[in-house]
Amino acid sequence: MRASSLGKGLGVAGLLLFTLFPVYLMVVTAFNGRANAGSRSLWPEDWTFRNFTFVLGEGGFGRYLSNSLLVALGTVLAGALLALLAAVAVARFRFRFRTSVLVMILIIQMVPVEALVIPLFIQARSLGVLDSLFGLVVVYLAFSLPFAIWTLRGFVAAVPVELEEAAYLDGASWGRMFWSVLLPLVAPGLVATSVFSFITAWNEFVFALTFMADQDNYTVAVGLRRFFGQYGTDWGALMAGSTLITLPVMVFFVIAQKRLTDGLVAGAVKG
Amino acid sequence: MTGLLWRACRKGNHMWWTSGPRRVRRSAGALLAISALALAGCGGAGQGTTDAGSGGDRTLSVWIMEGTNPDARPFFDELSTAFRTQTGATLDVQFVPWASAHDKFVTSIAGGTTPDVAEVGTTWTGEFGEAGALVDLAPRVRDAGLSNGLVTGLTEAGTVGDALYGMPWYAGVRSIVYRTDVFTEAGVTPPTTWDELVTAGQKIKAARPDLVPFPVAGDNEYGVYPFVWGAGGQIATENGGKWTSALDSPQARQGIQFYADLALKHGLSTPAAATWKETDLQDAFTKGQAAMIISGSWTPKAILEAAPELQGKIGAFPIPGPSGGLAGSFLGGSHLSIFEGSKNQDLAWQLVQLMSTGDFAAKWGAESSFFPGTTALLQQAAQSSDPLVAPFAKQMVDAGRSVPVTPLYGQVQGKKTIPAMMSAILTGTGVDQATSTAAAEMNQIFAGGA
Amino acid sequence: MTDGVTTVRERTRSGRGAATAGPRPGRSRRSGSRAARPWLLLAPALLVMGGLLLYPLLRVVVISLQDFGLRQLVSGRTSWIGFDNYAELLGDPDLWRTVLPNTVVFAVVAVALTVVVGTLVALLLARLRPLTRGIVTTAIMLAWAVPAVTGTYVWVFLFTPGDGIAVQALDALGLTDAATANPFASRISFYAVATLNVVHHGFPFVALTVLAGLLTVPQEVTEAAIVDGAGAWRRFWSVTFPMLRPVFAVVTVLSTIWDFKVFTQIYLMPGGDGVNRGVLNLGTWSYVESFAQNRYGLGAAIAVLLTVLLLIITVGYLRLLFKEDEL
Repeated sequence: MRASSLGKGLGVAGLLLFTLFPVYLMVVTAFNGRANAGSRSLWPEDWTFRNFTFVLGEGGFGRYLSNSLLVALGTVLAGALLALLAAVAVARFRFRFRTSVLVMILIIQMVPVEALVIPLFIQARSLGVLDSLFGLVVVYLAFSLPFAIWTLRGFVAAVPVELEEAAYLDGASWGRMFWSVLLPLVAPGLVATSVFSFITAWNEFVFALTFMADQDNYTVAVGLRRFFGQYGTDWGALMAGSTLITLPVMVFFVIAQKRLTDGLVAGAVKG
Repeated sequence: MTGLLWRACRKGNHMWWTSGPRRVRRSAGALLAISALALAGCGGAGQGTTDAGSGGDRTLSVWIMEGTNPDARPFFDELSTAFRTQTGATLDVQFVPWASAHDKFVTSIAGGTTPDVAEVGTTWTGEFGEAGALVDLAPRVRDAGLSNGLVTGLTEAGTVGDALYGMPWYAGVRSIVYRTDVFTEAGVTPPTTWDELVTAGQKIKAARPDLVPFPVAGDNEYGVYPFVWGAGGQIATENGGKWTSALDSPQARQGIQFYADLALKHGLSTPAAATWKETDLQDAFTKGQAAMIISGSWTPKAILEAAPELQGKIGAFPIPGPSGGLAGSFLGGSHLSIFEGSKNQDLAWQLVQLMSTGDFAAKWGAESSFFPGTTALLQQAAQSSDPLVAPFAKQMVDAGRSVPVTPLYGQVQGKKTIPAMMSAILTGTGVDQATSTAAAEMNQIFAGGA
Repeated sequence: MTDGVTTVRERTRSGRGAATAGPRPGRSRRSGSRAARPWLLLAPALLVMGGLLLYPLLRVVVISLQDFGLRQLVSGRTSWIGFDNYAELLGDPDLWRTVLPNTVVFAVVAVALTVVVGTLVALLLARLRPLTRGIVTTAIMLAWAVPAVTGTYVWVFLFTPGDGIAVQALDALGLTDAATANPFASRISFYAVATLNVVHHGFPFVALTVLAGLLTVPQEVTEAAIVDGAGAWRRFWSVTFPMLRPVFAVVTVLSTIWDFKVFTQIYLMPGGDGVNRGVLNLGTWSYVESFAQNRYGLGAAIAVLLTVLLLIITVGYLRLLFKEDEL
């Protein structure tokens, strides 16, 4: 028993080291005033906010953050709406081609996004939405939809039909039932899928890199690359920017932790 | 399109406001703060899209390469003010890192999202011009009476057929920047032959084992060329309009072998340098880790700015030839080009003129330590007695060379053929094999013109 | 955690019934609008997915059959060249020597490590007290939350030649010489760093999904196995694994798909953007040919190859998951 708890302790320690060390290093370097002078210490001698002020000021990161936030929120909101409607359709209705639609949604999840850069770039060019945040929202929306529909479908199906029928008996229309019965009950599922959509949009790199020409339209993932540049790498700024990017995602993950795992099980175990 | 997003946003928001059973409310409440942001956000996104689409009437967007001038902002502030006084138009200047600039230009040309005016590296001008992305400036240059006053090497690089796709802005050349204090300590003087270069490196290695005497960067094609040219080789030769790579010629191989041997045989470099870019060289030098680096005329100033403690400890000497004389060094620089997509081409030309001639050109040259693109200003600069300017001026005037003047060479550079070759050699591939591979790759591009 | 999982299971079970039983009471109401309603609800999502996923997928195939460069893109005129791009692609020795092995071997190794590490972590988590489990789970979530872009930069930072912390540590252990080692120069060490990055980023998904599955295994089953004298290894293979086979199938195939098309993590590493030919994979190669070389046709052909490979895996995924018809 002692040996096993020692083993557990070691396992936990090793695990924490492996998971947290890179994160720790990122944050510590962001606060390291001498990161650019080649300091690689695990505990900076010179604590400073300079890297952050540089990144947000001269580095123009404030702009990138707000761009990313706009894109991510646009994706989340539009995605939640479209995915919910679609999920209700496949979970609550039996119709011709229902299975085909489901299979298509499943398969389309597997399409390598990287393979679509070329045609989507050309499409966006002809529609004139290159170099605009809106173009990115639409693309990210498409990428996050299949997973969102697939996951939400489980949540919608889990809402007892009796509740809906009770609403009908009270004389509610389908729309009324949707808003006041179904929607509130699948809200946890919406949280889970929204977190996923948010992260998809927030982290995406290839399309943001390819679509955006004007620096003012960069998202954080692309904006970060500027510090990996001309005069060697500005590690202090790079890590400060990285910390700023990672923080919101972490907060989201921790807030939505339980819903997220529920969502995963609903999406994955159910298949 | 914009409207659609906006509507979607509003509906989406509405969802989160909807009240429901208590259990649900908490999770929705967690996102309440965010939906409040989203309200503001959606409006913002709509606006941003409109702005980006219309391009603005009297605003010129300008892309400038980052790092040419250690701190270019004051210069462009002043330029903006002068340009507004002159024309009433405003400038939107953006700084693009060199490393990702080629890809960014190509992508923006492909996507039709080019700026009005941009600084274009001389080796790219032909490529972009031939793709139909740049405005032919020859008539405007002629009308302005500037035809005879431009530095030949730069106009050549910007010319395809009869069209001139870039206005010469500035030029620079690479020589060797070194630590004077280390040279004194090791008892060496600036080498004037290749053998002396090796000896100097070995003495430095003995005297200061903590330093890398002469790092050989893998991802730095401009460090390779001087040794190809110095050994009497060529990058490529033209015969009746058809280019053929000459990297696999005995002379070129000999030069590349010598350059690689500085690292592989004489141990004057560090294996880490196999993936270094030119900027990493500078980085190493700034951190006091290297004794000599191949470096541009524009870098001493930036180095001193980053490492003030090196003040008075750095010098420069031209890259020597194998047995005296100077090795050819790439005369590179930048053009100012106007993009076909610009709706304000006349205005853009006014800006190009303002930047490339007269006071602003001289000021840019002085601030960035580059040499101006007009002959009059160049001659003035070449007479400098500054020890950090004169060696470069000598190398530029006596041994400035061009890479093959064909748009296809831009593609070779885009494919990073030379860096790929050099980093392969530094990590163990034989020179014969690596040069053959690189030559074949280059010939494929020359032949295909794809 | 536990109650969360059981609820979901119950929900899904009742949900499955609901999907079949659901529409019936409604149909007696207005039946005309009833038939159109699912399609109305689906329409926006289908439009977006059709226009931005399916159509481009067809388009990429079309482009791969064309000579499509910058000039063609600007002028809008393209010419059909049949299978020339594919001939060039398949005839390129680099495809067989470097790109394909890089893609496949990396994916196999990364997936194996991700799944093994994830499973071990899940088994460890399942044995922890709830409080410790909560703390460790949060730590894992933090690792998961690090975006690929920033994660990659952190790993590059760790392995910076010369003074990177990991390089120094390996040097102190006598495994490398910090002065000479360059982890990004050779293919093996480049991908070793990439593997660390990808496993670090990928194992939380596996761990949490498997853990969720583990918690659904009834206590009695495990206890019975213990009474039978089965060791931990036996118990895992004879009890846990068979019960969680679908979970393992999902995490393995999803990880495979993610790791096959890994782009950002490679592209942002030194040399990964095309300078170091030895480390190109299908994703980066396609991108470099298209957007740096303007050979969209060839780039599209590479993208098609990648898609076909993934499609084969996807079919495997469907086979594994849906042996019985349970859609």
